[in-house]
Amino acid sequence: MSDVGAGPIVREPVLRAPANRVSPQAIGFWTVSALIGDVVLVIGALVAWLVIPGAPGWVGLLVLLLAVAAVAHVVLMPRIRYRVHRWEVTDTAVHTREGWIGRETRIAPISRVQTVDSRQGALMRLFGLASITVTTASAAGPITVDCLDADTAAHVVARLTAITAATEGDAT
Amino acid sequence: MIPSPGNGWVRLSPRKLLLDPVKAVGQAVVPVVVALIGISQSDMRFWPLVFPLLVIAPLVFGALPWLTTHYRLTDTQIQVRSGILNKTTSTAPLDRVRSVDLEASVLHRVLGLQKVQVGTGVDDDRITLDALAAADAHALRTSLLGRRIAAEPPPPMPARESDHDLGQGVWPGHVPGPAQAAPATVPPAPAVPLATIDWSWLRFAPFSLGRLVLLVGGLGVLSQVADELPIWNEDTATSAWEWLTQFAVVAIVVVLAVAGLGLWLVVSVAGYVLQWWGFRLVREHGSLHLTSGLLTTRSITVEEAKVRGVEMTEPVLMRLVGGAELSTLATGVEDGVTQVLPPCPRTVAVGVGEAVLEHPGPLTDPLVEHGPRARRRAWFRQLRNALDVIVLLAVGWWWFDLTWWWLAALGAAFLALAAVVGEASYRHLGHALADDHLVAGSGALARVRTVLETDGIIGWVVSQSWWQRRIGLADLTATTAAGTERVVVRDVRLEVAVALADAATPGLLGDFVARGSDQPQPAPHPT
Repeated sequence: MSDVGAGPIVREPVLRAPANRVSPQAIGFWTVSALIGDVVLVIGALVAWLVIPGAPGWVGLLVLLLAVAAVAHVVLMPRIRYRVHRWEVTDTAVHTREGWIGRETRIAPISRVQTVDSRQGALMRLFGLASITVTTASAAGPITVDCLDADTAAHVVARLTAITAATEGDAT
Repeated sequence: MIPSPGNGWVRLSPRKLLLDPVKAVGQAVVPVVVALIGISQSDMRFWPLVFPLLVIAPLVFGALPWLTTHYRLTDTQIQVRSGILNKTTSTAPLDRVRSVDLEASVLHRVLGLQKVQVGTGVDDDRITLDALAAADAHALRTSLLGRRIAAEPPPPMPARESDHDLGQGVWPGHVPGPAQAAPATVPPAPAVPLATIDWSWLRFAPFSLGRLVLLVGGLGVLSQVADELPIWNEDTATSAWEWLTQFAVVAIVVVLAVAGLGLWLVVSVAGYVLQWWGFRLVREHGSLHLTSGLLTTRSITVEEAKVRGVEMTEPVLMRLVGGAELSTLATGVEDGVTQVLPPCPRTVAVGVGEAVLEHPGPLTDPLVEHGPRARRRAWFRQLRNALDVIVLLAVGWWWFDLTWWWLAALGAAFLALAAVVGEASYRHLGHALADDHLVAGSGALARVRTVLETDGIIGWVVSQSWWQRRIGLADLTATTAAGTERVVVRDVRLEVAVALADAATPGLLGDFVARGSDQPQPAPHPT
């Protein structure tokens, strides 16, 4: 048995990134949703610090740090996400990449796709966005393409539905 | 009496009329006794009214399901109707029947009954017939499984009044007689035995800790009861403690430990005997068929076409004595992971596993190691867990103002343990691709080897945390409909992960794989 974990191997194949970016509107959407969550969190911490009597001064410092982290999250996360998130649907497979600190790449063959859902929350509608979720017979396998612009999403759903309808078998 | 609906609909076994009231009485006994005590303490006048009610109610409620439940087998479907006001009809196409499991509690067995559960491959949708006469149940099972593989469906069953049938050992849908008995419609496939119980395997029972949870739970209940005992008050506790401390504490600890071990020995061996008595695993009608049980008997059937792989687990204590457990990973059954062997010698588990896979090797061949960086991560993960525990302990120590020497000793012990577990979890790590089977090694204390047919892979997930990205590792997840629905190859180099996925499912990654220009051919996967 060779130990392929050791030593540089330059000839191994690598996965290329999927072809398409998500909608640029996604930056605004992610910013607003992060802002809502973080503001609630920071205000909650601040109120708790002010209300609880006799809380020592360094707790205030923690609240300040939390606020700084929240600002960094709101400013940086959407931009990093926009650079990372990508998707591609070919005639044979669905391929996505997502994450901002970590990375997650998902691939499923279209022949194994069971359902195609699209979802549009209230906030997403403000930004003209929609998400598509493609599920397979595995609970570990759903693939979500976040934040496409609504027209593209409708096209992709129509195309995926057409392809999967033509596929036979029970996809397990 | 509600008339039988005819058209081939038949009732469950009439002996169910004995079974259900007994069960109902068993369930109702506590509230009834409570009610009786309450009544007897207040007033005796209502006795003539209440008592018949208490007797009749269980009988009525026991009889209703039998009166209202009917089932029938048509050319294409098995149908079950039940309910009085809300009628429900469950149907399952015969060609979708994936599993037919029989189960019998002690009560069932006394009455010669079996509970039949028909799985159709759709989650949470099992058709349950509780209860049929044992012979009917077996005939139904053979018929259902046999029909699934028969080239053409047998002739429709004759309609028949079920009231005449008293469950005398023939499946009601068939007129008695060998010519029309269910097995006769299918050429009898030879049953190939794969494993039967060997009582020398009993030596593995104490090393399998699955039942320890039950024992601890039982002791917990016992201690609750002990609290209620009148002797257990503060005075006796104090005097008992003084009495104890007069003797060597060590001796008491030893006695307790020996007693605990003895208790565990008895419980584990008894549990093993109860569960695996008469264990047999055979292959027939294209299915794996498992029967076992001393008091409650189980009979489980897994269609082999739906078995996508196996998983062999060697828990740490079982490793010491060379034992292992084996499960099959199947699609389209409610519980995709079915334990098909009791704790048994590793060679037996490997043998049965290879028989199920129909491939020698995947369970024994060495795995490709994941390299020094994966080892570092395995160590780091365990050490960090140990540090978390130590920090928590330190807070406790500071709070209660205890001696720091003890904490230092405990901390050192935890770190040493973490180092051992980290190294062990690295050694269990690995992957291989052999004969259309993806093999993944995992587990920290237990050594787990998961083998999945590459045909069963329905997608890939490559995920990297921030730490993994910095050192070029990734977790590769093969998604599948079988078993726990995922097989994870952990902390493998990203390039190796992609090559492995590409080799396991040629063409699936197709367009998405970019290769170096100096390499027109796909890289052969190192196995």
